[in-house]
Amino acid sequence: MNKEIIIALIKRFFSSIIILISVISFLFVLLRIAPGDPSQKFISPELSPQLVEKVKESFNLNSSIWSQYKEFVINSLRGDFGISYKYRQPVFSVIKEPLLFTALFSFISFTIQVIAAFYLALFSVRKINGFIDKTISNLSIIIFAIPSFVIGVFLLFFFSALLKIFPSSGLTSLDFDSLNIFEQILDYTKHLFLPIITLSLGGIAVFYKYLRDNLEETLNKPFVLFLKANGVEEKQIIKKHVIPNAIGPFISVAGVELGLLFSGALITEVIFSLPGMGRLTINAILSRDYPLVLGCTFVSGFMVVLSNLAADLIKSFIDKRLLKGLLN
Amino acid sequence: MIKTKIKIWQVFFILLILLMVVRANLILNTCLLFLKWIKILFVDFNFGSAQLNLSFIDSIIAPVLLSVCLITVIIYRNRINPLSKKIDFTSATVIILLIFFLFAPLVSNSNPDFQKNLIVTKLLPPLSRVKVLHLKPVENNNTVKHSDYLRLKKEVIKASFDDEIIFVDSISVKDEIEYYQSGLKKKINKNILLYKDGAPYITSKMFLLGTDELGRDIFTRLVYGTRISLFVGLGSVVVALILGLLTGFLSGYFGKTIDLILSRVTDMFLAFPVIFFIILILALFGNTLFTVIFVLGFSGWMSLFKIVRTEVISIKQKDFFITSKQLGIPLKNLLLKEVFPLIIAPVVVNIVFLYGNVILAEAALSFLGLGTGNNYPSWGTMIEQGQNYLTSAWWMIFSPALFLFATVFSANNLGKKINILFNN
Repeated sequence: MNKEIIIALIKRFFSSIIILISVISFLFVLLRIAPGDPSQKFISPELSPQLVEKVKESFNLNSSIWSQYKEFVINSLRGDFGISYKYRQPVFSVIKEPLLFTALFSFISFTIQVIAAFYLALFSVRKINGFIDKTISNLSIIIFAIPSFVIGVFLLFFFSALLKIFPSSGLTSLDFDSLNIFEQILDYTKHLFLPIITLSLGGIAVFYKYLRDNLEETLNKPFVLFLKANGVEEKQIIKKHVIPNAIGPFISVAGVELGLLFSGALITEVIFSLPGMGRLTINAILSRDYPLVLGCTFVSGFMVVLSNLAADLIKSFIDKRLLKGLLN
Repeated sequence: MIKTKIKIWQVFFILLILLMVVRANLILNTCLLFLKWIKILFVDFNFGSAQLNLSFIDSIIAPVLLSVCLITVIIYRNRINPLSKKIDFTSATVIILLIFFLFAPLVSNSNPDFQKNLIVTKLLPPLSRVKVLHLKPVENNNTVKHSDYLRLKKEVIKASFDDEIIFVDSISVKDEIEYYQSGLKKKINKNILLYKDGAPYITSKMFLLGTDELGRDIFTRLVYGTRISLFVGLGSVVVALILGLLTGFLSGYFGKTIDLILSRVTDMFLAFPVIFFIILILALFGNTLFTVIFVLGFSGWMSLFKIVRTEVISIKQKDFFITSKQLGIPLKNLLLKEVFPLIIAPVVVNIVFLYGNVILAEAALSFLGLGTGNNYPSWGTMIEQGQNYLTSAWWMIFSPALFLFATVFSANNLGKKINILFNN
């Protein structure tokens, strides 16, 4: 890696960070100008007026938006996003557990998506427009058109309600604490099996389509014909020449997808009632927990930035020509 | 896909004729109602103008549209290119959706919120029948003005309640009339029943796709839900189109500061998962039909912006554009007459894909309980309600899910086809 690349990547990273900061600022203002008072929920009519004032003051919503914003910026630079209204805890300690779960959950799902799509695409590219290729392509289009909540609900119906193989909701069974470590892992697997399938199917369809189309396009290029004419083995051509050339767009799509996954698989979490970032964010929004909303947004925005950066890095390692595009 | 020799216009024509034959009575009544309304308008203007509401206009317009469509299809069947193509899954879906969307009051002659005798009609499976006991209408000919008009109106525009019928499981007519409602035996006074040819007038009603937990007909809700879903999609696409075109044009045409700001704003929107933004706005500012449309449109303009911007930047340097600019053509005409015809191909393809996505997003929002509100049935709301009765009533979720899938699938296919069409 030379100097130019590092500078370009740093530049890119910082411009993303600036975007993230403007998102947060925009949200901050939006939350403050929205109708409704979040402190109202914590005030009962029996409280004395002095106490009401104290409660309202603890929310720090009485001063002007500008001074609130200044305070928020100073505090968040110190890593303090405030105290969640609902949980009465610092925002990051509220976010910690859902984030851990979401990171694990989305990483597993992402790995499955990428690997499955990769091998399916390779498999179907072996004979373009053959029977297998057409079947998988049509299946992927069909799966892409089914909304994830329908997939989730039907999986629940078949495997939980009819066959009773998998539990329908939650992350652990009731007797989780009494199990030994292997049984605990088995329990987790059982609970996460259906959600991961629900989350992965759509992603597999998207990735597959991207990769397959790119592979087909690359296979039709003259250099592949040239290699074939020179007697290079088919496997070698695909492995060493076609894949590196075709994988660029796939990686950038994967980067965006990973970032979005880290911000929580909202629908899947809602269907299977899992404790992830998506549900935390939604609950924060619905209960007007302003600090928590901002914290969640920051974390998921940061994840998006990071995964895009990772995608750029990987892409430039595989295809050095892309660096020029990166530099601009 | 399955290839047949039947052409699109033939299917469309047959379906329209079928609709016309099945609902001939209703169409006739609607015409009569309209004539009577015109007459009333001359006699009693205040009463007449008070009758004019959305469902009235809807019921009147549907037969008119039906005949207009029929005539158009017959005359232009060979001149409009898509109509003479062979039918496949995508076009069949589009036709059915179009018919549901335009002629909802004719396709299903009942109210989507109609409820009666919950004990009988609750969670009925598809194709099940119940018997209907008709009661004598309350005679008030002399007391209420325009009573014959109101009676006719009740036939045409169905209300969400009806006091003159009773749904029953079974019935026995002997000396006394007894009926059963899920095991409960009840007696009824013979005098209040409606008689026809000397016997009590009993009909049966079929629920084509079953009923939901509140005894409402799923088929009717599906038809009206199609309307809502397609309308939301249409509205949001228009919002996105206007926003994307305007911002893209401004950014590409002026460049510099405006371009920088707008590009950064687009990046901002892309960096943050859009669904949270939508939910945030809906939670903070309330979820009505129009906020949903606006927010969905507002979250979909980024791809249009990028397309328009890059196209405008390349068009800006072409000779014809510079000439027309120097001729002093106003900015509005530059956009509509010089730029728009050139970018119409990618924009249309993008819009069709966006349409599918927006309908999906609306369904997802409704599924989360943040959709167009409970006043309107929409596919997402129906799926969300059906989820609770999954083990006991699969039909509640099956038909809306199928329609949602078919719509999104067709939108994607259509986008692809248009793309191929424009590129060749």
